[in-house]
Amino acid sequence: MNSIGPLTLLTALPIAGAVLVLILKRAQKLSRAVAIVIAVAALLATLVLWARFDSAAPGMQFQEVHTWAPSVGLTYHVGVDGLGILLLVLSAVVVLMSLAASWRNASHGPVYFALVLLLEAGLFGTFTALNFLHWFIFWELTLLPAFFLVRLWGGPQRGRASVQFFFYTMVGSVALLLAFLALYLATGTYDFTTLAQMAQNGGLAAALQQNLHWGGWSGGHIALILFWAVFLGFAVKTPVVPFHGWLPDTYSEASSETTMLLTGAMSKMGIFGFLRILLPIFPAQMQEMLTPLLWLAVASIVLPAFAAWRQKDLKRTFAYSSVNHLGYCVLGVCVAAKLTGVDPSLAIEKSAALTGVLLQIFSHGLTAAALFWFVALLERRSGGLRGLEDFGGLRKIVPVFCGLMGIAIFASLGLPGLNGFPAEFLIFKGAFPLAGWAATAALLGLLLTAVFLLGILQKVFFGPLGKGQLETKTDTNSSSLPAAMRDLSTTERFALAPAIALMFVLGLYPQLIAGKMAGTVTQWTTPATSATEAYKTTAPKHNAARLEAASGAWLIHRKAQAGKAQVAD
Amino acid sequence: MPEHPWRTVIALLIGAVAFGITPLALAHLWALYFSPKKPGPEKNAIYECGLESKGDAWIQFDPAYYLYAIIFLIFDVEAIFLLPFAVAFTGLSMGAAIAMLVFLLLLVEGLIWAWQKGLLTWA
Amino acid sequence: MNGSMTVLRILPEIIFTLTGVAIMLIDPVMPKQASRKPLGWLAAFGALAALIASLYQYSLPVGTAYFGVVQTDAFSVFFHVLISGIILVSALVVLDAVHPDTESLGELFALMSFGAVGMLLMTSGVELLLVFIGLEISSISTYILAGFRRKTAKSPESALKYFLLGSFATAFFLYGIALTYGATGTTRITDIAAGLATSHALPIAVVGLAFIVIGLAFKVSAAPFHLWTPDVYEGAPSPIVGLMSTAPKAAAFAVLLRIAYEAFPQLQNHWMPLLWILAAVSMTIGNLGALRQKNVKRMLAYSSIAHAGYLLVAFTVLSTDGVAAASFYAVAYAVMNVGIFAVISHAGGYEDRLTLIEDYKGLAYRSPLLGGVMAFFLLSLIGIPFTGGFFGKFYVFAAAIHSGMIWLAIIGLLNSGIAVFYYLRVLTATYTKPMDSSPVLNVPRVSAPLCLAMALTVAVTLVLGIIPGRVLSMARHAAETFPVFSTQQTPVPGTASAVMAAINTKAR
Repeated sequence: MNSIGPLTLLTALPIAGAVLVLILKRAQKLSRAVAIVIAVAALLATLVLWARFDSAAPGMQFQEVHTWAPSVGLTYHVGVDGLGILLLVLSAVVVLMSLAASWRNASHGPVYFALVLLLEAGLFGTFTALNFLHWFIFWELTLLPAFFLVRLWGGPQRGRASVQFFFYTMVGSVALLLAFLALYLATGTYDFTTLAQMAQNGGLAAALQQNLHWGGWSGGHIALILFWAVFLGFAVKTPVVPFHGWLPDTYSEASSETTMLLTGAMSKMGIFGFLRILLPIFPAQMQEMLTPLLWLAVASIVLPAFAAWRQKDLKRTFAYSSVNHLGYCVLGVCVAAKLTGVDPSLAIEKSAALTGVLLQIFSHGLTAAALFWFVALLERRSGGLRGLEDFGGLRKIVPVFCGLMGIAIFASLGLPGLNGFPAEFLIFKGAFPLAGWAATAALLGLLLTAVFLLGILQKVFFGPLGKGQLETKTDTNSSSLPAAMRDLSTTERFALAPAIALMFVLGLYPQLIAGKMAGTVTQWTTPATSATEAYKTTAPKHNAARLEAASGAWLIHRKAQAGKAQVAD
Repeated sequence: MPEHPWRTVIALLIGAVAFGITPLALAHLWALYFSPKKPGPEKNAIYECGLESKGDAWIQFDPAYYLYAIIFLIFDVEAIFLLPFAVAFTGLSMGAAIAMLVFLLLLVEGLIWAWQKGLLTWA
Repeated sequence: MNGSMTVLRILPEIIFTLTGVAIMLIDPVMPKQASRKPLGWLAAFGALAALIASLYQYSLPVGTAYFGVVQTDAFSVFFHVLISGIILVSALVVLDAVHPDTESLGELFALMSFGAVGMLLMTSGVELLLVFIGLEISSISTYILAGFRRKTAKSPESALKYFLLGSFATAFFLYGIALTYGATGTTRITDIAAGLATSHALPIAVVGLAFIVIGLAFKVSAAPFHLWTPDVYEGAPSPIVGLMSTAPKAAAFAVLLRIAYEAFPQLQNHWMPLLWILAAVSMTIGNLGALRQKNVKRMLAYSSIAHAGYLLVAFTVLSTDGVAAASFYAVAYAVMNVGIFAVISHAGGYEDRLTLIEDYKGLAYRSPLLGGVMAFFLLSLIGIPFTGGFFGKFYVFAAAIHSGMIWLAIIGLLNSGIAVFYYLRVLTATYTKPMDSSPVLNVPRVSAPLCLAMALTVAVTLVLGIIPGRVLSMARHAAETFPVFSTQQTPVPGTASAVMAAINTKAR
């Protein structure tokens, strides 16, 4: 295992690309082309990994271990399970989309492209790391390019927004680091899989009690404190209400291409943490704290939906909608935490929720990135305007733009047939039997999402012509507003087409992702006793098969529902 | 109860402070009782007789002699080391002689530096 | 012991002395108008030779020389290497920042070399009086260096403040030595522990220790003994601040470590709470103070107070981990601070053309290299991974948590959160598009010595951040020279050391 494996090469690729882009800085066009080529290569590489990923096998694949700094417990340990490979592909997709969106943006020079590639490397590193310290290094490292991207290419308030963003994330990271230092002290390891194993067989709480003497607290109490500290770190990153204070400013002040990265890929780091760290290492604590966690999840779904409704700015609306969508992921994780390893009869509901979470991760990444791409296109045409009131009747002027953006908006609100639906449906399918009240409350968020997204459609695409447009008829000198707007160019259409197509594909055939995730989901839902075995040996095959069958059943169910919904329309 | 190590220290500290404050307080009380304040223009004048001072006391004057004083001081102190060295010279090892030589050479080096810098020339 | 070995034990000190003497002899005989820069190169080469000599000292067996007043062991050599390195980089930075016709430039380089002798003696001295003399040599050099810009009002003011408060602090230190002698009958650091065991005047020793700690706390500018720091840093020439905010501090920390762990291990119940409070207060006051500063050098002064606090956190950890963390942090902090002052002295110049954070607006656009290096060191000071700052902080707080200092670690980490704000303010300014009237416009060309200095500091910071293992093991090796850690004591149940022992046995 001492040779350099595919995951290391994958992480190194964007770094090398960034260096190359910086070297070619003088030749602007060439360096941008190199950046795109590197992003495409990274995407292809992740797809190759995706294809070679064994969907039935539980546990980590493509593992690699090297010593790094053993005296502090730092090991270079990478590997991916279904979650990791999914996020690798998603990051590659989102980065490529963002770079494509930046292509025509004259203000985004080679340095911008290099920073985006560095961010991609950070994301790859974060999503593949299996040793906390190694993971933490990359987790912090993504912050740097993101900070500079917001700081250097943002709107007028970018200074404040970027510092806010940095500070919130740092506080979260500090809490994370403290918690893991304590865990290391108690257990002597930073390895995620080892820690998860200890948590499953009860060794973790015992080790905490035995090795930490914190004012006579029991191991359970200490674990609870550590749980909240870790939770804080991820809650800030995701974000979960009420730790989302940085998000509206950052998302709206960053240039839209950067926001694509922030919401499409970086927000997934939080969910990744929930699934890779909180759920496996603190299952008992999550159960214990289930009610408050569910409250937070519901708050993250409902309150941002209200907030989004009241926004007058497209980017802020989509920013809040992003919190709302990630709220579903948190909800899914929380309900999955309920009954961990207690009652195998509910395993189907749990795996439904978790499959839903995984689908939602990808679906939200894709949709949110696409939405902000459309905002970027709109901004470039309107000269930076993005207020809801500034537009109206766009449908008549730029029909193709409106059509494609409409598809993305419908995908976002979860229209059957598009990618948002199967994800949210599965989460709710899991959530209703496991936490009925939370699911019911979260439905309100679903409703509100529809309200404000349709509101956007109505205000921007339909209705009376926008005030800028009306003025052009009487006023001669305001030609920069929608009157002068061009529809999507052929290049733009070709660039957008794959993303839109992917929305349809995932909407109609979610098995594409769900199938790959089967082994991982099985591993997460298998009761504790056999889960420990699963780490050592491969999981029983029939388990995976049963789940495959189960997910097939949901699809049939879903298609029937979809049919009904369409009839109702 | 075992004696806390800080106890004597604190007792000494209180004693020291009291030793200073008591006479001051007594003097103050004495003044309050026997010489109450009655300020007037005459009493507030700087001198009861003589001339008022003019100008600032902070005037500049040439401290050239100051450098001589410092260099002199260095060699003066050097003598303190030289004297016992001379007395015990016969009983000393080679290393001690070399050490003393280094010490002297360092001082000489300082003198050469000062001389070359022109510090010994009274401008 | 043979004579040559004795000389080898103070080889770096001798090299620095000879360098200083040579500079002082050459300087007056040079023509008045001639550039003094060759003297700077001489100082740099002297420092390089001393650095090599220090590295060579690793091959010497542990032992003492000159009637047992100096000791070369892994600990002192570790700090010898660090201090020689700092002097080397500082000499390069001074070479870059000063004009060739700056007044008495030769003396500046000579004083740097002589100061280094003092600092090196502080780290290798095991006789408190020698340590005191080393402290005085290094302090007096830095007092003069701080006042080197005689034509301005601020520089002599800063020198005077530094001198008055510094003398006060050394007086405390000396009084502490006297009291220690009274209580234990010895001033040899290695004998004090034994003297304490039989001493009948323990309270006197406690007071002596307290005075020594106060004196050294002044030198490392730990709050509440920090008041001189911002004023002195503001007034002193920037390249000198880079030196005096690192090398004398590293030396003073080394002395504090040696005294705390080698001389007074029995009194740890007394000095540990003391240092706990110093650490917490320093971190908090340093960071809160830095938040309000508009002047970059004042801000970095407060930041150095905060960093002294982080370093003191490691002191409260009663294990090799703590000492190793402190030593490692000293290296990481020194390198990044010297590095950032290299940029500041180049951009602002010896005359301090740029003082306010606002003045740095657009630095990255005027000179991408300087802006990039500045950003790198600011990120390292924040503690971003892949820089020395990250592992420094990480190691300190890991050690603190290991020994059960949860609250101190939490205070420290909250503080490093606050610190993000003010470092980012400078970083933000550096990357703000400049207005055309801003003075950064005329940043002079980056010269060869500065390039060398920046390359050295950046490289070391990266090495510390990516492959810290080597330096860590050196620091750990240094920590193991203290006899407290080499003998296996039976720990008292429930204390931090008991926990450590439990973990150690578990790990084995």
